[in-house]
Amino acid sequence: RWRFQTYAGAALGPHVTKPAIDLFNRSAKGEMEIELYYADQLVPTGELFRALQNGTIDAVHSDDDSMAAPVPVSIFGGYFPFATKSILDVPVLFNQYGLADIWRDAYAKAGGVVWLSAAGQDACHFNTRTPIRSVADLKGLRLYTFPTAGRFLTQFGVVPVSIPYEDVQVAAQTGEISGMAWSGITEDYTVGWADVTKYFLTNNISGAWIGSWFVNEKRWADLPQHLKDLWLTCVQAGHNYRDQWYWGGEAKLRAQGEKLELTTVPADEWAEIEKAAMVFWDEVAEDNETTAKVVKTFKDYNGVLTKSGGVYACG
Amino acid sequence: MSYELIAALMFSSMMLMLLTGQRVFAVIGFVGAAAALFLWGGTGSFNMAFSSAMKLMRWYPMLTLPLFVFMGYMLAESRIADDLYRMFHVWMGSIRGGLAIGTMLLMIVISAINGLSVAGMAVGATIALPELLRRGYDKIMVTGVIQGGSTLGILLPPSVVLVLYGMIARQPVGHLWMAGVFPGLLMASLFLLYIMVRCRLNPELGPPMPEEERAKITRADKLHALQAGIWPFVIFFSMTGLFLTGVTSLVESAAVGAAASTFVALIRRRLTWDVLYQTARKTLGVSCMFMWLIMAALCFGAVFDGLGAVKSVERLFLNDWGLEPWQVLLMMQAAFLILGVFLDDTAMLVIVAPLFIPLAGALGFDLIWYGVLYTITCQVAYVTPPFGYNLFLMRAMAPPEITLPDIYRSIWPFVAIMLLTLLIIALYPPIATWLPNYVYS
Amino acid sequence: MPKAIRLYVKWVDSLSRWTGIFAMFLLFALLGILLYSTIMKTWFLPSLWTVEAAQFVMVSYYLLGGAWTLKEGEHVRMDLLYSRWTPRKKAGVDLVTGLAMIFFLGLLFAGGVASSYYAWQTNEHSFSAWRPPMLPVKLIMTFGIFLTLLQAAAIFFRDWATLRGASIE
Ligand code: NA
Ligand code: NA
Repeated sequence: RWRFQTYAGAALGPHVTKPAIDLFNRSAKGEMEIELYYADQLVPTGELFRALQNGTIDAVHSDDDSMAAPVPVSIFGGYFPFATKSILDVPVLFNQYGLADIWRDAYAKAGGVVWLSAAGQDACHFNTRTPIRSVADLKGLRLYTFPTAGRFLTQFGVVPVSIPYEDVQVAAQTGEISGMAWSGITEDYTVGWADVTKYFLTNNISGAWIGSWFVNEKRWADLPQHLKDLWLTCVQAGHNYRDQWYWGGEAKLRAQGEKLELTTVPADEWAEIEKAAMVFWDEVAEDNETTAKVVKTFKDYNGVLTKSGGVYACG
Repeated sequence: MSYELIAALMFSSMMLMLLTGQRVFAVIGFVGAAAALFLWGGTGSFNMAFSSAMKLMRWYPMLTLPLFVFMGYMLAESRIADDLYRMFHVWMGSIRGGLAIGTMLLMIVISAINGLSVAGMAVGATIALPELLRRGYDKIMVTGVIQGGSTLGILLPPSVVLVLYGMIARQPVGHLWMAGVFPGLLMASLFLLYIMVRCRLNPELGPPMPEEERAKITRADKLHALQAGIWPFVIFFSMTGLFLTGVTSLVESAAVGAAASTFVALIRRRLTWDVLYQTARKTLGVSCMFMWLIMAALCFGAVFDGLGAVKSVERLFLNDWGLEPWQVLLMMQAAFLILGVFLDDTAMLVIVAPLFIPLAGALGFDLIWYGVLYTITCQVAYVTPPFGYNLFLMRAMAPPEITLPDIYRSIWPFVAIMLLTLLIIALYPPIATWLPNYVYS
Repeated sequence: MPKAIRLYVKWVDSLSRWTGIFAMFLLFALLGILLYSTIMKTWFLPSLWTVEAAQFVMVSYYLLGGAWTLKEGEHVRMDLLYSRWTPRKKAGVDLVTGLAMIFFLGLLFAGGVASSYYAWQTNEHSFSAWRPPMLPVKLIMTFGIFLTLLQAAAIFFRDWATLRGASIE
């Protein structure tokens, strides 16, 4: 019996985490059961890594950034500005360009936690109460966003706000925040943020969320091989479900959704932000060897994408 | 031992230990931490305990709590409320039960500028109650007036309970506050009606002001007393007004409200160092009491949740799908009421609401309307023995001649009126939902 | 009562009193931060740190105020039966159930120490764009819990003295 906590709240969790867990519980036929808890239910998200490390929680689905994992790669979790262009870039980066090994090693070094698998999700768009039609409109917005993305956005006058995930919708209603830079449009509609904001910006600051599945080291070691295999297969099936859910949802809701009005900043103006991101990349690369390696991988991969053109080069 | 058994054990040992009279936070925290120790062993248990402190720190609407409390005491200490009370006294004193009616009106005004029932309790128990007793009002009736009236603080906006509900139900606070207006006024009217009818039937309960004293009050006095009514409006607009128009955020509004009440005290030359110190002192006491209790309840709740107890209850509910939605709602409301008798609203919210509220939503009920039903249930929980904040506060603040049995006996008529209001709003939802729909569309 | 215990109780009471007075003033810090936030948001650029700073002040407020609150008897009890007992009986029951309080506070304290140690070891920063280090606030929290624990022990000794018919003073 595992206690599993996800970063997602009760509205989003059924799509991003629950399918994998339900599948596992059905397939394990009572040999083992995983109990799913949503954001902050057992421990606050900021304490998630520690809880996982010392076994208060057995397994976790989260990005490295929000759970404040004390590893050099955590800065790349969630949305690292312009690291990817679309959802499938993440598994490619991890499985074909070697990020999986870097992540596995980083967590092995931190101890107590085993990194299992990463996958992409939606792109990081802005949905706000006031329209964004130019970069200048970002100035003064109090946005709920990821720590790293937030730090990057401060240079454009954005004021990032960190609050528990479940409080975000109400915070937008009570005026604590003016919107979010957190997700694609599918999530905005699913969790109710589309009800409390008016505008959706089609430009994004990163093409896919990088999130991972983790497990307590000892719990993983204790698991018989067939259950390990089963769990990894279920996690993979969950990735597959999300790939389609987000990809289809983004298109459909942008085209047919009625709650959010779409706005766009002209591409040549948005390039200013992309340029700033490259400066940010170089700063991060100077932190240590690991970050340098990851940034280099991003650069190599994005070079490939740009060169290949067509659908690969679109953000 | 099965998890269900542990969960049942947790609940029963908590109830049992509460009977020993140990501090409530210590009992809830102990049971939570001990169960955590049993489930997780050393490291896990102390991490669960401390996590609750971290969780509470990140729960930003709680920032409004000490500010609302501060505001309540500032109104009491700076004697703005005295003037207000005197205003009602001068205007209402001559009729039967007039001072009790005036006290209820005072409770309504305080409720409109404060988000908890504690402010009303503080003003009612320390200012109104001694005066009412001195004038020979029936102690059981007036104790009930103050306890029942002060609970309006969480139904009439601003309301901290509705903020917490909004957090869990994911409903906008503005809508919820608006939804509380008419139910709050309805309940207040029923309270007033009750007092008038009882005092008419039995004049000894609330003797009118003596003739000679009445003669001494001139028309000028009466008009002068009216000035006291200006200040609550100033505070109301600087806080609730700025929030509802979107100028300030919720926590900022609480700060503006606290500053505004201090400012009003200052320009009325009532802000002495002693007043400031006393206010800060009492605010610390009440806020700490609340926060430690919520922290312990969070610890208890997380462990309880970790047992899968919430899920067991959910399964139990889902097996009852054969029922009509309204039957499920009725069951939930009954369970809330029964739990509310034993628990207080914070514990209910932390332990039960995350289970009931999504269920109510899934059954297709309007969660704004349900928030009002929930809040009224909390009001009942506040005043029903053995566990209720207002009971405890009354016990702490009332003059010594008010005994515990007096307090317990005093609240029943008011509980009956609360339940009547609950029923009316359950049967006729537009009372709650009309105003938010009108304002926000 | 042994002199050491009497001294301990006296010392802890006075410590609780002073930290309580300090905590009282933190409320004004909280008020100041939020008013500053309001002013900045209404007329200037909203500030990055105010909500989180307010949260830090708030948690310090009620944890540093914990010992004082305990000493002043501000915590609610379910006093249906309790209020009818003699002081001696109250002290006797409190002596036993007080151990439960000490147990809870002890676990909280251990959790605080572990969490602070982790913050120090991993150079933990808050997961926000402001990124303040977490060690200071965790140390303040742990210290507040520690003082509350000391006060709970002092209350234990006081109850013990009452039960034996002595006074701690
Ligand atoms: Na109110
Ligand atoms: Na109750």
